[in-house]
Amino acid sequence: MVEALVQLGVPLFLLVLGYVAGSIAEQNHYKSIRVRELRFRRMPTTNLRRPPVHWRIESVALVAGSTVVSVDYFKRFLAQLRGLVGGRVRAYESLLDRARREAMLRMKEEAAQRGFDAVINVRLESTNIAAPLRNDKGTAGVEVLAFGTALKLARA
Amino acid sequence: MRFEPRDLIENNVSPGHPLAELGTLVAGLALVGLALLFTAWLAVEGAVRFLPASLEQRAFGVAAGAFAVPSDARGAALDAVLGRLARHWEGHGYALRLGVVDEEDLPNAFALPGGHVLVTSALLDQAGSENELAFVLAHELGHVEARDPLRALGRGLLVALALAALGGTDGSAIVGSAATLGELAFSREQERAADRFALALVAAEYGHVAGASDFLARLPDARPAGGAERAVSWLATHPRSADRVAELDALAAAAGYPTTGALTPLAPEIRGG
Repeated sequence: MVEALVQLGVPLFLLVLGYVAGSIAEQNHYKSIRVRELRFRRMPTTNLRRPPVHWRIESVALVAGSTVVSVDYFKRFLAQLRGLVGGRVRAYESLLDRARREAMLRMKEEAAQRGFDAVINVRLESTNIAAPLRNDKGTAGVEVLAFGTALKLARA
Repeated sequence: MRFEPRDLIENNVSPGHPLAELGTLVAGLALVGLALLFTAWLAVEGAVRFLPASLEQRAFGVAAGAFAVPSDARGAALDAVLGRLARHWEGHGYALRLGVVDEEDLPNAFALPGGHVLVTSALLDQAGSENELAFVLAHELGHVEARDPLRALGRGLLVALALAALGGTDGSAIVGSAATLGELAFSREQERAADRFALALVAAEYGHVAGASDFLARLPDARPAGGAERAVSWLATHPRSADRVAELDALAAAAGYPTTGALTPLAPEIRGG
């Protein structure tokens, strides 16, 4: 009986822990993302390969921002269940949405810190940097990298 | 060309609460699992009901071979008692076999799949009369008749499978206890049915059911013994002995079996050697 309690109790505890900790972290992160996105909304950021012809460019540089995200126990459990029947993996959608936006923000923050006015030719890449081991231990992690060409414009 | 400021874009996450999603998924999968389990349950019941005795015997002959079937005078005397009882159970189709388990302390008896009946040596040593022993053997024959051992095996297997599916490899640790619990939960009804069957056989053989409940007085839980095991009657493999003696008396009265009569002495070969 004790054995059964431990076997059911430990995963249940981890589920609750994952859900509570994951939810709090997500809420706080989104709050921070929204504030910073609004702060940078006027910095031109595009995936055009060439700047508009009328821009007079003073200097250029490579800027990049990257984030690494991991899954909490609750999200992984939910995604595993979802994997049985298929459909949108909502648990991972918010995670990757946060990762992309955070990476973009870090890229813009770098550009702003170095005195650039705009970023063009922006690319987003994601890399699986850690896969769960076969015994389901180990950490699943994804890196999201945003990079582009920062431009400093000459003031007229 | 004019640059458009980018407002907050919040359309990359599907709407819905994660807990609601969890609830839907768990409920749906549980439903599917229960349906599968129910189907498997029906399959087990069907197999138990329609499996010919000869096939059951062939499938489980090897397993029961691990127990000592005495080929001496004791075994012959026991076989004689069993054979006389089985005469009143027509068309059973089993080649009934009897084994003796070396167990000096606990008087007990078991039925295994394939028409095998096991008794502990303590039971033989302590039996006061042939009537008492005959009731125990007939009771186990009642389990054989109802195919209880086969059913218990099938259900235990199902529970083990379900738990293994639920918890992956982690499930195997609790399989043992859960499988036993599942067995116990339904065994009380089956014990009553076996008692009913046994009383009929004993009454047909001896003309009365005197001495039938003597064995129950020897069961461990009829003795004053402490411990939680005794307190929880539900957990006992058999219904509490005192309850069962009363039930037996009621069954005998309802069926109109005489409860008094001359007890047949136990053949000397049967008592412990």
